[in-house]
Amino acid sequence: MRRIIAVLTLGLGVVAASLLPHYSRRVAAAPQTTAVFDAEGRLKLPEGYRHWVFVGAPLTPNALNNGKANFPEYHHVYVEEKNLDVYLKTGVFPEGTVLVKELTRVLNPSFPDGSRTEPSGRGYFNGEFNGMDVTVKDSKRFAATNGWGFFNFGHHPLPYSSWAKEASVGECAGCHIAYVAKTDMTWVQFYPILRDGDKTK
Amino acid sequence: MAYLARFAIGVLLMAVTAVSPRSGDSGPAFTKDGSLVLPSGFRSWVFIGGPITPNGLNDGEAPFPEFHSVYIRRENLRYYQENGKFPEGTVLVKELTLAQVGKHSDGSLDSASGRGYFPSTLSGLDVMVKDSKRYSKTNDWGFFTFGHHAEPYESSAKESPQCAYCHIANVAKTDMVWVQYYPLLRSKID
Repeated sequence: MRRIIAVLTLGLGVVAASLLPHYSRRVAAAPQTTAVFDAEGRLKLPEGYRHWVFVGAPLTPNALNNGKANFPEYHHVYVEEKNLDVYLKTGVFPEGTVLVKELTRVLNPSFPDGSRTEPSGRGYFNGEFNGMDVTVKDSKRFAATNGWGFFNFGHHPLPYSSWAKEASVGECAGCHIAYVAKTDMTWVQFYPILRDGDKTK
Repeated sequence: MAYLARFAIGVLLMAVTAVSPRSGDSGPAFTKDGSLVLPSGFRSWVFIGGPITPNGLNDGEAPFPEFHSVYIRRENLRYYQENGKFPEGTVLVKELTLAQVGKHSDGSLDSASGRGYFPSTLSGLDVMVKDSKRYSKTNDWGFFTFGHHAEPYESSAKESPQCAYCHIANVAKTDMVWVQYYPLLRSKID
């Protein structure tokens, strides 16, 4: 009987050990923040963001905005899972949080409103990547704009700029301060997971 | 001593059970009757695109209302980008999200960032699974709907072969997937 217990315990140990590398890898692969600044305070283009958690994609088609949307046209928004988890628990993004908004055009419009008809219905479909905006939470560096810095890496097809200087208050922060200062400067109302939580977790 | 042995077996079983959802993380999980278990953790997979077919542009009844956010595991995306086809066990999740209702007849909304469509509440989940043995009749893919409604979605779903026809008719040549709508499937961008 002791041998049975010994074997079972050993088995349990093997199962537990097989789980360990998984967790330790996750921890080791998570730096404090992915925001990298140079001496002049410019932000380096974030990497790997398309593998972060996608939280939503508002769409402002050029055709519905006099041919020139401020953000043409889809806005794909990503956040790292560790920062999303903190937000879902506390309602506040932790220091170092990076939010990436990548733009894509709509695919080959065929109606005046920019939409097209496909077997799934009439609507909008993703075209080419078309630009990137980034916000970084750093309450010391960006104290003047509610703890967040705003950066524009270009509104055009790939490749984007490698570095971006902080955008002026008039370009970005002003609108966030005016509308979403109460929700940590983020338009959480447009992102179901930020607004309602992630029930799959 | 028998108690101890039973206890040890119990602990071991619990450990194995605890592991199985994680092993399910690397591929689809099925019930005994062949239903697909609701995938978990898919919002941490790679998002590849979000077509939107607004109700306002589809006589109030879009077949898939309204945003279609599509997710795939990173390793399966990479395989597709390298090989032009999806590996066995690939799971594609399409989660639906309603759009916020605006004043315009097309359903669009005026917001600070412009006129357009903005996500409202989650509204459903469809899944396809590549398994050439199970789904040889429908070009190697099985189709499932976990409901077109708010969460919670169904915990498991039977195969919905009726979904396959549209894919067979239109996208059989691109491994049954509408790759033309997804920038990461049209290119090798990481």
